[in-house]
Amino acid sequence: MRASSWIKAVVAACLLALVCTPAWAQRIKIAVAAPLTGPAASYGENIRAGVETKVEQINAAGGIDGVMVELAFFDDMCEPREAAVVAPRIVGDRDIVGVVGHVCSSAHLAALPTYVRMGIPVISPTATNVNISQQNRDNQGRVWSFRNVYLDDYQGYFLANYVKDVLGLERIAVFYENNDYGIGLKNAFVAQANNIGLAVIGEEGYVKGATDFAPQLTRLRGGNPDGLFIAGYYNEGALIAAQAGNLGMNVVKFGGDGLDNVDFINLAGDAANNTFMTVPFLAEAAPEHAQEFIKMFQERFQRDLDWMSANAHDAAGKFIAAVVAVGTDRAAIRDYLAGMDSLENAYIGITGPTFFNEIGDPEKGAFVKMVKDGAFMAAPVQMQ
Amino acid sequence: MLEQQLINGLTLGLIYALIAVGYTMVYGVIQLINFAHGEIYMLGAFFCVTFITAAGLPFYAAILMAILCCILCGILLDIIAYRPLRKAPRLAALITAIGMSIFLQNVALMIWGSRSRPFPQAALPPFFREKALVLGDVSLTWLQLFIFAVAIIMMIGLYLTINKTRIGTAMRALAQNKTAASLMGINVNYVISFTFALGSAMGAVAGILVSVYYNTLYPTMGYTAGVKAFAAAVLGGIGSVPGAMVGGVVLGVAETLGAGYVSSLYRDGVAYAVMIAVIIFRPSGILGKSVIDKA
Repeated sequence: MRASSWIKAVVAACLLALVCTPAWAQRIKIAVAAPLTGPAASYGENIRAGVETKVEQINAAGGIDGVMVELAFFDDMCEPREAAVVAPRIVGDRDIVGVVGHVCSSAHLAALPTYVRMGIPVISPTATNVNISQQNRDNQGRVWSFRNVYLDDYQGYFLANYVKDVLGLERIAVFYENNDYGIGLKNAFVAQANNIGLAVIGEEGYVKGATDFAPQLTRLRGGNPDGLFIAGYYNEGALIAAQAGNLGMNVVKFGGDGLDNVDFINLAGDAANNTFMTVPFLAEAAPEHAQEFIKMFQERFQRDLDWMSANAHDAAGKFIAAVVAVGTDRAAIRDYLAGMDSLENAYIGITGPTFFNEIGDPEKGAFVKMVKDGAFMAAPVQMQ
Repeated sequence: MLEQQLINGLTLGLIYALIAVGYTMVYGVIQLINFAHGEIYMLGAFFCVTFITAAGLPFYAAILMAILCCILCGILLDIIAYRPLRKAPRLAALITAIGMSIFLQNVALMIWGSRSRPFPQAALPPFFREKALVLGDVSLTWLQLFIFAVAIIMMIGLYLTINKTRIGTAMRALAQNKTAASLMGINVNYVISFTFALGSAMGAVAGILVSVYYNTLYPTMGYTAGVKAFAAAVLGGIGSVPGAMVGGVVLGVAETLGAGYVSSLYRDGVAYAVMIAVIIFRPSGILGKSVIDKA
């Protein structure tokens, strides 16, 4: 008799433990979908630096109601194929409350249908392609995919006006990476260039990982350009700038946010000077409360805070703010993010206030940065 | 402009040729397409930069050390990955080679990180970036001349090694018939290791020259270069060393002219189109001998 009541007590205790488990063993995970290996792995490293610093801040302050926030990394290699593979795995992990990613527009486009269909909120810190906003609603019209960065059409349009009005360039040679980012940026630029009478003397595409641009540059040199537009990322961009220098082309280089990384200067050397680029984040123009973080980042990673890391930091911050406010339900988090729809409801991050329009795109301006004497600085003339 | 494009193409082509001979020698001796060869090339560049930055060696000494390290890697690669499969079907060794390629790429990613890094300019001889020759629009830098010279000297050295030395004779014997060669008292494994060592040294030099020329090196740089060099080897007739040299130069020039005159997006397309055309019209490659397959 005694033994059986013991057993009953143990069973009851076990049952009680089972019932209670979800309440105290709950985990909060944020997925980070970015290229961690492959040719684009360095962008993934930028994103990792950004989200990890945010999560460490939160966890150091005791987590969210005592629960530590975890990061789950998924490698998409910047490839649509891989992105389509990791997306269902992210959705399938019920502890994940949202996704910071993807980095590359092409990868983001490939993963998007899964996120929208299965209902998980996504914030891309970097994907700037225009087509994304047309595909981020489910059939009830709810937006699941948000962005922390302006779009290519805005960036291309802005650049065309900037180089004509501020830099006074007339004849532009164009290089673009043959992917959604490069083509989107190039098309917007060329369209606006035609509108305002800026001559485009040649367009040359290249694939990611290309290293030799001498043949294309040799051809473009014949057209006597005074400006070189690089619609791509900094690794290839630095090679283009350096090889243009080797061929004796004394031109002003400019491009979008893809060029903004200190590696651009490291790789291009002297040829990096006189390069202008649009960026969504400029340390000099960052709000006061961000300066401390910018300094901490600089000390810890031994490099300046880049816009990718800054945007990823804020993207993670938005999810954490959402979990603090509404808990871990994915739909509730989505509603919370969608509620950041005006300056009053904006999220205040290190990149300044961010809020989304009705299709999930932010209203953020572009700043212009330039390379002078081997270092980045804010361009003397900004334009809004 | 054509002259400039030819110089561009020749520089690229000679580098392809240096990598391609590594492929073709290994194929000639053991009929293995060593896909991890591109990674040896990448390691050459990284070793060289590491010796300069971490050990403070001067440029030429760092090159020598990097070559030695790559020779070691090449021999280890053979011993660890390929020797156990010597009697297995060729497909098994091919898959192992692809596996080793991915493995080495990721090891490099772990050790050196994913960021592209510049070649330490301070270590380079200062005249490299200066123009050696300017004729109107055409310019040629000392660095390009250096690449030409190194590539040509290495290839002559290789040619002499294969044709004028005992070990070279042994390599050629092995290429003809491995069993018969071993019956004649040739140490097969030793000769194969030597072949890997020779190919790896050439690959390492190519990797260093490329990273100096473009001033950039990154862990995945071996892949594209490897594929191109493989195409060059096929183009010249796989297994033929002079063929690989010619194939590399033809591929480099074709690619450059394709990018310069057709469209830069088709540069790889042009390169492979040339390769396909050669395979269709001259299946044994430009300098390959038409042999009847033993199988």
